[in-house]
Amino acid sequence: MSAPSDAAPAVSAPAPTTTAAASSGGFTFKLHPLVIVNVSDHHTRVKAQAACSGDSSSSSSAAGAGAGAGQPPRVFGCVIGVQRGRTVEIFNSFELVLDPVSGTLDRAFLEKKQELYKKVFPDFYVLGWYSTGSDVHDTDMQIHKALMDVNESPVYLLLNPTINLSQKDLPVTIYESELHVIDGSPQLIFVRSNYTIETVEAERISVDHVAHLKPSDGGSAATQLAAHLTGIHSAIKMLNSRVRVIHQYLVAMQKGDIPVDNSLLRQVSSLVRRLPAMESQKFQDDFLMEYNDTLLMTYLAMFTNCSSTMNELVEKINTSYERPTTRRGGRGAFM
Amino acid sequence: MESLEALVAHIQGLSGSPEEVAHLHSLLKQADGDSLRAHAAALVPFLAHLSPETHSLGYLYLLEACATSGSNLSEFGGGDFLVTIAGFLTACSADQIRLAPDKFLNVCRVLKDQVMQLNMPIRGIAPLRTAVRKIQSSPEQLTPVHADYLLLCLLAKQYKAGLSILEDDIFEVDQPKDLFLYCYYGGMIYIGLKKFPKALELLHNAVTAPMSMLNAIAVEAYKKYVLVSLIVNGQVPSFPKYTSVSAQRSMKNHAQFYVELSTSYSNGRYTDLETFVQANSATFQSDNNLGLVKQVLSSMYKRNIQRLTQTYLTLSLEDIARSVQLETPRDAEMHVLRMIEDGEIHATINQKDGMVSFHEDPEQYKSVEMVEHIDSSIQRLTALSKKLASIDENMSCDPAYLMKTGRDRGRFDGRFDYDDYDSVPHKFF
Repeated sequence: MSAPSDAAPAVSAPAPTTTAAASSGGFTFKLHPLVIVNVSDHHTRVKAQAACSGDSSSSSSAAGAGAGAGQPPRVFGCVIGVQRGRTVEIFNSFELVLDPVSGTLDRAFLEKKQELYKKVFPDFYVLGWYSTGSDVHDTDMQIHKALMDVNESPVYLLLNPTINLSQKDLPVTIYESELHVIDGSPQLIFVRSNYTIETVEAERISVDHVAHLKPSDGGSAATQLAAHLTGIHSAIKMLNSRVRVIHQYLVAMQKGDIPVDNSLLRQVSSLVRRLPAMESQKFQDDFLMEYNDTLLMTYLAMFTNCSSTMNELVEKINTSYERPTTRRGGRGAFM
Repeated sequence: MESLEALVAHIQGLSGSPEEVAHLHSLLKQADGDSLRAHAAALVPFLAHLSPETHSLGYLYLLEACATSGSNLSEFGGGDFLVTIAGFLTACSADQIRLAPDKFLNVCRVLKDQVMQLNMPIRGIAPLRTAVRKIQSSPEQLTPVHADYLLLCLLAKQYKAGLSILEDDIFEVDQPKDLFLYCYYGGMIYIGLKKFPKALELLHNAVTAPMSMLNAIAVEAYKKYVLVSLIVNGQVPSFPKYTSVSAQRSMKNHAQFYVELSTSYSNGRYTDLETFVQANSATFQSDNNLGLVKQVLSSMYKRNIQRLTQTYLTLSLEDIARSVQLETPRDAEMHVLRMIEDGEIHATINQKDGMVSFHEDPEQYKSVEMVEHIDSSIQRLTALSKKLASIDENMSCDPAYLMKTGRDRGRFDGRFDYDDYDSVPHKFF
């Protein structure tokens, strides 16, 4: 395995994929974004370090376990959180050292880390471990079993770093281990589980901030204003589609395609009755004044834009078709 | 050359579908020329056989041969011939005549000449208006018929008739002379209607249009431009950067008196201006601008009163009369009243004590009409901006432009930077 073999403990909650969850354990997984950020950060760091530290070394060590030729190195780590009844909430994660030769976790390190985290977060337990890669590896089961003495049913969180940026789902999967009977003998296999993302206010703010630093669709919205307007646009679009859904539902109900549901109707009518929020002359005046102000600003911006295009055009026409009286540089006149 | 009867039979037969019309067109082209004109006299009875709507193309050819035959049109019963042409112009089918645009233009010109000869310009207005619409391929195109039409409207003093044509924005121009004439006549029509801002726009276009040599239309347009801009703005702006070089250099020399008029106007004293106008009234008269100059005089008062609004909040009528050099407060009151009605100032006159109080623009921008107004302006501006962007792109690919910029760069560097590779034309490599 290449040099950075730290296992980044990123137990990310499994993304709510639409494939059938094979898990029958009935556990509800809640994942905090901090974990996802941690894992991806770990992975990126390791990848960058490997790239810097020389291509030769990484290519030779690529033959090692886990990395695979040309693939970024896998990272490992532990995830910690709280388990209350059937709800497993994964709050945080830390990195682990994986012994490249034997493929086992460094226990001493793990315990030391556990102790440190216990001091800061007394409520958190080690819930499982994480790794990166596109799919579950065979060696993963060993690590999983090794962790079973810490937590009798650890979770395995897999982050797929090679994911397509245009895909909307999180490339994170949570696996549980279950005893299934295969070919006559009971075996532990990984089964997928569903999860949800849970955020604390602080996390939401930081994720928002990170999301806006880098434009997500290839850098087209380079300015803050454009990003802001895109946000508003998508919000309005979503509002519009929701309203349309309700409208279609009501129309269908009116036609008789769907059985009449009075409680829903009551909710819709209460929603409708909440608008308009205000209906007074003063509100109209102020609203229209502000509307006109915004329109005037747009008009002014367009005007400026148009004038500058016009200016450039005039410059071009003057250079190409006018006999120059004086020219900058002066040499053109002698041609 | 087929005989006339055969030709007429062809016309009647082949005017159905577009393919037939194209075939007919080629036949007519063959038959066209002096031979047709030589038989001009004989053509007239044949015209009666053809109908203008369905046989427009054939009709057009025959008509044009008659019209340009050079022989005296009164031979055909001049008044009737006019009616024939007018009827044709009104009834013809636009698709067919677009196949032979120059012939159509000839016919229109003949109509205009006839009408002017007969001194009844008003008869030409309606047919020419339909003719303009029919030959235009899009409402944004300028045709020679525009200029003729506007001339007739001016001569007939039917200014409103010209308005409908003037309201379209023009984006395509074939002949520069058309543009100059159009702008000049259009400006005059707006002056006649007292819509001075629009007149200013059109005259401005005439003055700043690209021209390699100064032309007479532009000089006349400039004279009126000076006068109208004095009426509207109180000053004559300097030439913008897109004026042609020849215009910038020599325009003012040809319009000496007007430049002096504008300088004395800017001094603000009515009496000086009046004496100047009296002294040079002969020149103004010869340019047919005397009426306009008199309007400039009366606008002097307006300018001064407007200047007062910026200094005072309230003013008595006597003071106004005194500072604006009017004779009596009555005059001042009349002027102020008229200006309030025209919307040029915002004020109220208190008749009891003869005080005028000036106000700010009462527009609060809180009405829905204002929203629509601004919205429509934004839409127009968006469309214009798109057009400008496409023209700009075309300009950047223009070989003349590329040659000039590529040449510059070549001179400065001596050798070509590989960074400039994209914009330098390949032939230099």
